[in-house]
Amino acid sequence: MSEAPKRPAKVIKLNVINEPKDSYTGGPSSLCPGCGHDQISNVIIAAAWENGIEPHRIAKMSGIGCSSKTPAYYLGQSHGFNTVHGRMPSVTTGAYAVNKDLLYLGVSGDGDSASIGIGQLIHAIRRNVDMVYILENNGVYGLTKGQYSATADIGSKKKKGTPNETQPIDLCALAINLGCSFVARSFSGSKKQLKSLVKAAMSHKGFALIDVISPCVTFNNNDESLKSYGYVKDNNVTLHVADYIPNRAPMEEIEVPEGHYRDITLHDGSVIRLETISEEHDPTNAVAALSALHAADAESKHVTGLLYFDGTKPSLIEDLGLVESALIDVPESELRPSREILDKLNAAFLS
Amino acid sequence: MATIANDFTINIATANGTGSQSANLILLQSLFEMGIPVSGKNMFPSNISGLPTWYIVRLSDLGYQAPGDRTHIQVLVNPATWDEDLESLETGSVVIWNSDAKKEMNREDIISYPVPMSSLARKINPKIAKLVTNIVYVGILAEMLGIDQAALESALSKQFKGKEKAIGLNITALGLGRDYFKDNLSKEDPYVVEGRELDTAKFFIDGNEATALGCHFGGVQMLAWYPITPSSGIAEAIIEYIPQIRTNDEGEATCAVIQAEDELAAAGMVIGAGWAGGRGMTATSGPGISLMQEFIGLAYFAEVPSVFWDVNRVGPSTGLPTRTQQSDITMLYEGSHGDTQHIVLIPGTVEECFEFGWRAMDYSERFQTPVFGLSDLDLGMNRWACEGFTYPEQDMDRGKVVRDRDVFEAFEDFGRYLDVDGDGIPYRTLPGSGMDPVLYRGTGHNTKGVYSEKPQDYVALMSRLKNKINGARELLPAPLLREEIECEVGVIYIGSMENTIQEIDDILEATGLKVSQCRVRALPFSNQVAEFIRRHETTIVLEINRDGQLWGILRKELPNDLVTKVHSVAYSDGQPPRARIYSDLIMAKLEEVEQ
Repeated sequence: MSEAPKRPAKVIKLNVINEPKDSYTGGPSSLCPGCGHDQISNVIIAAAWENGIEPHRIAKMSGIGCSSKTPAYYLGQSHGFNTVHGRMPSVTTGAYAVNKDLLYLGVSGDGDSASIGIGQLIHAIRRNVDMVYILENNGVYGLTKGQYSATADIGSKKKKGTPNETQPIDLCALAINLGCSFVARSFSGSKKQLKSLVKAAMSHKGFALIDVISPCVTFNNNDESLKSYGYVKDNNVTLHVADYIPNRAPMEEIEVPEGHYRDITLHDGSVIRLETISEEHDPTNAVAALSALHAADAESKHVTGLLYFDGTKPSLIEDLGLVESALIDVPESELRPSREILDKLNAAFLS
Repeated sequence: MATIANDFTINIATANGTGSQSANLILLQSLFEMGIPVSGKNMFPSNISGLPTWYIVRLSDLGYQAPGDRTHIQVLVNPATWDEDLESLETGSVVIWNSDAKKEMNREDIISYPVPMSSLARKINPKIAKLVTNIVYVGILAEMLGIDQAALESALSKQFKGKEKAIGLNITALGLGRDYFKDNLSKEDPYVVEGRELDTAKFFIDGNEATALGCHFGGVQMLAWYPITPSSGIAEAIIEYIPQIRTNDEGEATCAVIQAEDELAAAGMVIGAGWAGGRGMTATSGPGISLMQEFIGLAYFAEVPSVFWDVNRVGPSTGLPTRTQQSDITMLYEGSHGDTQHIVLIPGTVEECFEFGWRAMDYSERFQTPVFGLSDLDLGMNRWACEGFTYPEQDMDRGKVVRDRDVFEAFEDFGRYLDVDGDGIPYRTLPGSGMDPVLYRGTGHNTKGVYSEKPQDYVALMSRLKNKINGARELLPAPLLREEIECEVGVIYIGSMENTIQEIDDILEATGLKVSQCRVRALPFSNQVAEFIRRHETTIVLEINRDGQLWGILRKELPNDLVTKVHSVAYSDGQPPRARIYSDLIMAKLEEVEQ
């Protein structure tokens, strides 16, 4: 009997916690081939792997819709919760209140977040829940076959039907006005920028919103759509090149280009380096961020990059006044008050 | 004249927001401290200031706690309801009325005690005359009925907890009332109070506070709530007790509190906490539960522990927000779309509010499902006598959670929704544990938690869920039976009807009809309920609503031969149950059945 031919040795690249990238992948996607959401899933896998986050310490949260199905397609070693339409923020808030030690990675869509879930999004921002909130924004409802969503741009036309005439909601502008501590816009086709932003959001303590224009190849990728691949590619005003510099030796060297750049240090000591492309954008200035959004909007363009950042806001957990360890790690003997305490209460009532 | 001691009802008509509630509670507490069995019902409007409020104090040596059939002593302060209140009185009733109110006293057939309450109050302090007016009528009642001054002063100091100035002012006002009665009026009525020696010491507490304490002794880790009458008292009491019983020496708490943006978010937070392995809860009322329905279905289907307290008020819609009812039974038991079935715990006393407070958490984690506590406005917001709370006799039941990798590895096959033990309850691992990572979902799933639309997966899942909840029947608080062998008629009832049932029973017995009683304390029904029905010729299901919701659920679940034996007596007018109305309805129903 001859020996089976040996497979040639394969080099597997490991991250700082010695995990291969496979530890961060998920099941096969059932979305339409070419969907922007799949590109974002790949970015999430790469960002989590490169950041060296233990996969089981991530909690994948989502609502309902095409985007909210994607947690099945990445981070197969993480627990997740595909909740109800638009209400992922509240479920995340409750989980976070009892276990602050997980990295909450929320994925939502424009149908989920800009309509039914807009109230919960707003209040999660208001509370500064410590989570990454990736909004996969394509301007249409995919699972129900292509109705406009509340982020569809005026004059934009999807594959079927008439152009949208209703004023869109810009969730980045909304978030900035609400004092959201990390607000970015990106494009599923700008893998490098998106990855840097996702990595930075994962290092941020507080609510990090990344609104990612993610074209719907089936219902909204025609030339008349302002959220098609072609349109976004040609009309993307990039504020800056963004590079994520981890708080340890990076796996690869970061190229420092000539010219101006600004480093923003994140809560875990890592840095997002924003290299100026045209005029310098100051991400700590909310008015500048809103101006950039309005200027782009006036020309029917999409501005991408880290729009706004505030590293000084306390996150929800600091407001709750809780014990140091996560509540789920508090032993039962400390959760239930003692018999003596009840005796004292009874006695006080009787006195 | 023969006196009537400890067997009458006082009705005090004031306006909301005038401070009458404090005065009324002092009156109630002072009677309670004299050892007199007494109950108080606050009939308040959905309003902050100005609308009519009635406070009903029932004294009964027999221990009756319902408001009674009639008013014996009417205190008239509020001109707005004056005529109506006066007109409704029976001949011979006593009226203590504010002669400064510029209203007529046009009844000749009553015992009239005019008191210039406003002028007396102004004597003490014109700026707060309105507030003081209330304590003046307490002084009048004290003198007229013979309430102990010591009991009054003790009640005052409890009400104003160390606020010496307020206590002093109120003692003066009480004295003015007493003196006015002594100097200007002569007692013409038969009503007196007599102190009683109690066998056991008791205190007054409302159901909401008792529930809140119970939740703390259940180790609640997260409260998410949205304010709504009549449930806010649960959340507020939970918050109030945290510094005292749920913080460490550094003042750090082991219970998070989040005031949500609405009831939907509150439900979401509770489910998030349960999913993460914590004990989350919310407190709301019917309108809130309506809003939470979608999430309730998710928690049932994805099997997430979560506790919801519903303090029932009058529906449908906004209904009568400050009135009591038992009308959320069906909505809780079969909450959310699709086939569902939920565990509902129904306390009938403040002691049970406490007990079911901690038990709800245990049941929810044991059965990995939403658990409801069903209280109501009457039980939740009124004060009831309590002998004290009993410490949980068992450790917290955290259910089937695999926390240890060795235990996890020992499973031959692990699936989040795999029924290993045959009781329908699967094992779960927690986020962050790294064991059996699973994407929880509200969509159809197989035993591994993976999306599935296969008919066999769906049927298996739905049958297992049914079995799981069925398995709770005999583990939940059992029905309380009061039965005598010769009784042909049984009465099944729930919740705060407990406080009226004895009086109903006595009225029925006076007509020669002896009935057995079965107080259901949880859904799904224990099999003992069917057995109770089997032992009786006829069973009445008595409830405070229009449609006989409990009866409907019972009929659906009873074996065919018993269905015809149960009959519904359901009535609700927003008022706390009055015994006479229900006893009359029971007798009418029995007559109808016999024909």
